[in-house]
Amino acid sequence: MSRSKTLQYYLAARLLLAPLMLWTIVTLVFFLLKATPGDPADAFLGNRASEDVKAELRKQLGLDRPIYVQYFSYLFNLLQGDFGKSITSSGKEVLDVIRENFPATLELAIGSMLVAFIVGVTVGTISASRPGTISEVGGRLFGIISYSLPIFWVGMLLQLLFAVQLNIFPLGGRFPANLTPPIKITGLYTIDSLLHFDLASFFVSLHHLALPCLTLGVLLSGIFERIVRVNLKQSMKAEYVEAARARGIPEQRILIAHALKNAMIPVITVLGLTTASLLGGAVLTEVTFSWPGLASQLYEAISNRDYPTVQGIMVFFAAIVVIASIAIDLINAWIDPRIKY
Amino acid sequence: MCGFCLVGLIFVTSCSQRNNPNVASTNEGRITIGTTQKPRTLDPADAYELRSIALIRNLSDRLYTYDPGSTVLKPQLATALPTVSSDGLTYTIPIRQGVVFHDGTPFDAAAMAFSLQRFIQNKGKPSSLLSDRIATVAATAAYELTIKLKKPFTALPSVLAFPGTCAVSPKAYKIGKNLFEANTFVGTGPYQLQEYGTDRVKLTAFDRYWGAKPLNRGVNIQIFNNNSANLYNSFRTGAVDVAFQALEPDQVKSLEAGAKAGKWQSIAIDGSVTSYLILNVLQQPLDNPLVRQALAALVDRPTINERVLYGQGNPLYSILPSTFSVSQPGFKTAYGDGNIAKARQLLTQAGFSPQNPAKIQIWYPSGSTNRRLTAGFLRAYAKQKLGGILEIEPNTIESASFFKYASKNIYPATLQDWYPDFLDPDNFVQPFLECPKGSVAKGCEDGSSQSQGSFYYSDRMNQLIAAQGKEADPTKRKQIYADIQTLIQQDVPLIPLWQTKDFVFAKKGMSGIAIDPLQNLLYSSMKK
Repeated sequence: MSRSKTLQYYLAARLLLAPLMLWTIVTLVFFLLKATPGDPADAFLGNRASEDVKAELRKQLGLDRPIYVQYFSYLFNLLQGDFGKSITSSGKEVLDVIRENFPATLELAIGSMLVAFIVGVTVGTISASRPGTISEVGGRLFGIISYSLPIFWVGMLLQLLFAVQLNIFPLGGRFPANLTPPIKITGLYTIDSLLHFDLASFFVSLHHLALPCLTLGVLLSGIFERIVRVNLKQSMKAEYVEAARARGIPEQRILIAHALKNAMIPVITVLGLTTASLLGGAVLTEVTFSWPGLASQLYEAISNRDYPTVQGIMVFFAAIVVIASIAIDLINAWIDPRIKY
Repeated sequence: MCGFCLVGLIFVTSCSQRNNPNVASTNEGRITIGTTQKPRTLDPADAYELRSIALIRNLSDRLYTYDPGSTVLKPQLATALPTVSSDGLTYTIPIRQGVVFHDGTPFDAAAMAFSLQRFIQNKGKPSSLLSDRIATVAATAAYELTIKLKKPFTALPSVLAFPGTCAVSPKAYKIGKNLFEANTFVGTGPYQLQEYGTDRVKLTAFDRYWGAKPLNRGVNIQIFNNNSANLYNSFRTGAVDVAFQALEPDQVKSLEAGAKAGKWQSIAIDGSVTSYLILNVLQQPLDNPLVRQALAALVDRPTINERVLYGQGNPLYSILPSTFSVSQPGFKTAYGDGNIAKARQLLTQAGFSPQNPAKIQIWYPSGSTNRRLTAGFLRAYAKQKLGGILEIEPNTIESASFFKYASKNIYPATLQDWYPDFLDPDNFVQPFLECPKGSVAKGCEDGSSQSQGSFYYSDRMNQLIAAQGKEADPTKRKQIYADIQTLIQQDVPLIPLWQTKDFVFAKKGMSGIAIDPLQNLLYSSMKK
């Protein structure tokens, strides 16, 4: 069977399995949420209403129905694309909640991954190209330290330094409250401002994006640094590299044009998976920088026992991860002819 | 190379934003307020938490309202206090003329009736405030509203000052279960909603407002969702003009020090939010009144206020905050503060000793720094002062779970805050002490005191609560509240701890910073 045929069968199999994976996640989240003590009535009304009033609210929200009725009702609606209505946001459609908040998460994820990739690959390459030197030691230390530092702590320190003391970056948020963000096309302020040819808004958005992206990106770059360093060192020992050296190709060119390409294959995998997990929301980053993304919305929904919103966001995240992992497999197969599924 | 380009772009960007004249011009005449309170909804029929109410308060008008610093009701969309029928069931309210909604719809009694009917029938979170009390509401003339009650309730005008009972445009809203508009607001208030984003809100002065025009062109609200550190630092760096809710006590302390040093202004106002230690009268050893009285004697409010709140509250000696003239500091008279001798004597009388200590768990919802510190303080204080005769064990649980179990006879004692819905002593008494179904032996089986976790039952208390609800004579009402407070002091189903102060921080040069008695910052009087 040809390689492209096997790839097609693989893709078909993965796509067929995707609904099963999503159903598993939906079911797990549904029952785990129901198992958590407290419900929306407790979360919203607290000590301000009697049990009768809370019971009335539960009836309104359909929470007095048997759990299996609630479950199948939810599944039935989900199959029709109805994610339900948010309890937190007074009946707003869950899809609208996702639509409003996801662009912020996407923008942060793209920016952070760009920083992580650039910094990680650069440091990893330098480190691998100078084995046994202080550069390699520095690169190793960078990889370990950056990955182990807690984001909220680093974020707060950088805020204190760059926002409070030096006044270079804003403390948080996507856009200043006293200005109007660009009119929504994608929801990503940087992209929307460019699409509107509004350079002022572009720079303002970038200014606000800079500190959270740099913080998260630098801390994530440790992953890429380690993978690039290890794989690049491995690649530099390969026979084709020896052959290239024998042909008199400069070391720098061998490193960048030959060895690095092969070392990047696992990096693509990690890049994809990390991006997918970031799209699931870097909640600590979003809270630290008051970034109004989907993760902080999810956190609030869990606290409020907003079942439809939690379930809807989790399904959305799961779908992203499923799509991302399929895409990574396909990209890997495309760039590495040795891969067979 | 790409990395350097990226870093360079970022720094060029940052330098270019530091002195942007466009920012100054669009901001002129507008106030930027920083807060951690993200509104959940803008629909007044569903908004029940401070973070949403605060915004609605400034966008809307209601029949009655309070001036800052006063608990005296004044008419707003009404032109006078209501005329009440002799049986106390019918309230006739004259309605203001010459008012329009933000969408241009004229306001009249029919619109007000629509708004109140919607508040009741849409079955939102606060609907029981009116639905429990009101039988019908109708426009009996173009500018006359008539409300018929299910039973007499003299505090109705105070309830009609709850921001959620505001007027909303019949063109923009619908009546029907769960038909809410979370992202929009069309009312009659001094501001119109210009923008409502995920981390920001913009209000603009309504040019056709019937009353006193705002002293500013508009308000930009920057929301630092659940991050008081960002709010604190944003204010210190001048990114916001005003900081209000919710700062941690140590942040307030730091900003107050800055105000004393002349860097900015600090405005502190006595609030109406109260904190109590609720005691479950069904659980041992708190089923013994002597033990409850001993706890009341033990509590040292001034020290709690100093150590936990950094002096940012006021010791509270009654279930009623000092905002009300009927409030009597009975717990101070009866028990004092940190009255160790009395506490020890009462516990010994109850049969406890260092060899057989009274053990009490105190529960509180997680995420509350003040309550965590208070519980820890009580444990340490009891251990240090009582020689082992009383052991207090703090416990915490996540908020929704906490409230789920509060009415299930799980917790021996709980630390709870109370945010009043309306400014009447009824709203401090009835939600904690009323119990229509129960007995002294079995405690409260169904009622407010069961919901709050004290399970307190007293026929006398039920009678007093019913009486204060329908008594219109202020002198008689005052006596009823005196009796209620005396009964609480004797039976101790709860121990009052503190009453909050509200703090607003504003840049120098700003004026007109005011908070209403329901803890809402008023935007229209602010000027810079």
